[in-house]
Amino acid sequence: MPSESLMCKRNTEMTQRTPLATPCILFLTTRWMSILLAVVGINVVAAGRGLSQSKSSSQPTLKIGSKAFTESVVLGELLSHLGRDAGARVDHLSELGGTQILWNALQSGEIDAYIDYTGTIQEEILADAARRGAHVETESEMREELAKRNILMSDRVGFNNTYALGMREDVANRLGIRRISDLKKHPELEYGLSDEFMERRDGWNQLASRYGIKTRRIRTMDHNLGYRGLVHDAIQVTDVYTTDAEIQFYKLRVLEDDLRFFPTYYAVLLMRADLQTRSPEVANALLKVQGLIDPVKMSGMTAMVRLEGKNETYVAGDFLNSQLLMQLELPSNTLGAEWRRVADRLVKTTLEHLFLVAVSLTLAILVAIPLGIISARNERVANVVLGVVSVIQTLPSMALLVFMIPLFGLGPVPAIAALFFYSLLPIVRNTYAGLRQIPLATRESAEVLGLESKSQLRLVELPLALPSILSGIKTAAVINVGTATIGALIGAGGYGAPILTGIRLSSIPLILQGAIPAAAMAVLAQWAFGRLEKKLVSPGLQPQS
Amino acid sequence: MFALKNISKSFGDLQVLKPTNVEFSVGKSTVLIGPSGCGKSTMLRVLVGLVQPDTGTVRFEGEAMTSQTLLAMRRRMGYVIQDGGLFPHLTAFENISLMAKHLGWDVPTRQSRVSELADLTRLPTAALKRYPAQMSGGQRQRVGIMRALMLDPPVLLFDEPMGALDPLVRFDLQEDLLKIIRTLNKTSIMVTHDMGEAGFFGDQVMMLAEGEIVQQGTLDELIHHPANEYVTRFINAQRIPHV
Repeated sequence: MPSESLMCKRNTEMTQRTPLATPCILFLTTRWMSILLAVVGINVVAAGRGLSQSKSSSQPTLKIGSKAFTESVVLGELLSHLGRDAGARVDHLSELGGTQILWNALQSGEIDAYIDYTGTIQEEILADAARRGAHVETESEMREELAKRNILMSDRVGFNNTYALGMREDVANRLGIRRISDLKKHPELEYGLSDEFMERRDGWNQLASRYGIKTRRIRTMDHNLGYRGLVHDAIQVTDVYTTDAEIQFYKLRVLEDDLRFFPTYYAVLLMRADLQTRSPEVANALLKVQGLIDPVKMSGMTAMVRLEGKNETYVAGDFLNSQLLMQLELPSNTLGAEWRRVADRLVKTTLEHLFLVAVSLTLAILVAIPLGIISARNERVANVVLGVVSVIQTLPSMALLVFMIPLFGLGPVPAIAALFFYSLLPIVRNTYAGLRQIPLATRESAEVLGLESKSQLRLVELPLALPSILSGIKTAAVINVGTATIGALIGAGGYGAPILTGIRLSSIPLILQGAIPAAAMAVLAQWAFGRLEKKLVSPGLQPQS
Repeated sequence: MFALKNISKSFGDLQVLKPTNVEFSVGKSTVLIGPSGCGKSTMLRVLVGLVQPDTGTVRFEGEAMTSQTLLAMRRRMGYVIQDGGLFPHLTAFENISLMAKHLGWDVPTRQSRVSELADLTRLPTAALKRYPAQMSGGQRQRVGIMRALMLDPPVLLFDEPMGALDPLVRFDLQEDLLKIIRTLNKTSIMVTHDMGEAGFFGDQVMMLAEGEIVQQGTLDELIHHPANEYVTRFINAQRIPHV
């Protein structure tokens, strides 16, 4: 008989593991930190949900998520159409950066539904449960296990999108490679593998050891760049999804999984159970995806986006109109409409980006300058403060972002939190250095005049440290503008969004729509702070001409 | 003006001031002299509260110096260091009137006080608008003196004020400074290692060595009735011009 204390233990283990499943943050997460994070995170999210519920209107809201590849975005748009058609106000957080982000978001209520794959559910989402002895081999077992977490799993959408390894047909022919086992005989091959495939439990490392492939010629790259690499023969092998439109377009050979390594990846809808009680008609509308899309239709839709340049909203709506005889209004595909979209996107992303940068930088200034002042007055505090902010700076930005999700959910808030932490170091360090470089004689001169300690700081020390402080803020601003582009990975918008989409669609123009304004904003920030410096810093401290 | 009782100070193992009792009386000019490390600067820094003595008490105008009384006491002292110790981000005028402004003096009062002091120290009015980096060494020192005089304190403390000046500039400034001290009838205490300067300024000269006062008196007494061999050696080492 399972005792109550055992059950408790299982539960804490679960809450501990979920926020730190992404390997890149493992190294910094100690046991107590993860408990703290889990507890705080649950509270924050619970408080946030309480707020949003208290002001809920009659129209139900629906938040859909999708991963950063075209099929997922199309399916996200498809769900959005279905939800809107059922009367919901829909928010699609598209192109989020990976399974763990989506799964955590689904559990915390940041999103209500998204489409994932049975293989992913088994190998990634329920891996912990499996290790503790739960049976998650069959779909009904998975369904049962997910239901314990208040997540509903639908029937299959209708296609199996498994991982596979792909090569150019001509290259594979020349080398006589048909099966994955054949790769062993060709150690000279260059591999370009996606980050997610490298990290997954059912990914490269296990595959390589099962097949006995030994190679060090591996580069990790974005999934979509992998195709470009193949075309230019910079790499010869990449991981593909079996429904990718590129397989036909680039004439790729999908290598036979002769040892049956890859699990099946049937697409299914994952949905929060509370959606069913909150707005059953919306939940039922989403379930229309069950059995709706066969493999040919799926890769057809992906091809329309990737190869014909149609946007996902259009493709998904067009599909629903023809399959379910719905009468959805579709966005126009004319050139004029496209330009309008470009302009709208520029305005929207600029505002989003400015918002991220302005809020995080302002908060950082308000916190970092006092920290710098305290550090300058006490060497022991300085060691601790400078040490901590330096460590924060060395964290990979993606890790810091993932770290923020259990605390702040998705969207601009966690991005602002991460940017805030990144902005601290330059400002703290420059405030500290600016104050420390004031000669002792100058500080004593202020002291012996009979100025109070506060007034010494305000009238003498801070004005003297100002050039250094301002240049710290300038550095932080420029770093901030650049780093804010990764906010798109967690649904914060900004210039990162078109860059991300552009990478996904191999669209240089889209990438430039994010990259050029981001660069321009950084240059502008540099210039503006230069002007500010001229204005604020005493002429007595500026180089004499 | 100042009464020091049983004051001592060590930095680590080094005792820079041995237990010392000394008084500085009102209206007198005292010069502290001695070689580097004899404790003269430390003594001056004890007077303005920049150095906290390990033992003993400091009384200023009859009142004990504590962290509560220090702020008000400092506003009744003028302290001048080498090169003026000016704030580089403020003009000469702003440097001089910083404290007065902080205490709420209105603009006309500040302006008339500064121009009065400019006359007294013979600082050209044009220099008032300049920043320290734009002034000569002599001008910076005059501004430093004006800043010390701004609140009209009864006592002036000088820590090697002429150290950074060339001989001609120094000569003029010494004359002016003595005149100012005499005219305004200030108590003054000056640290120097220059025997000539000591004789020029000091009603009374106090010679220190290794943290102790070796002898105090007029320069004449030190020369003609030295307390010990050390005093004679120090004076002779200075090459005072005999005319």
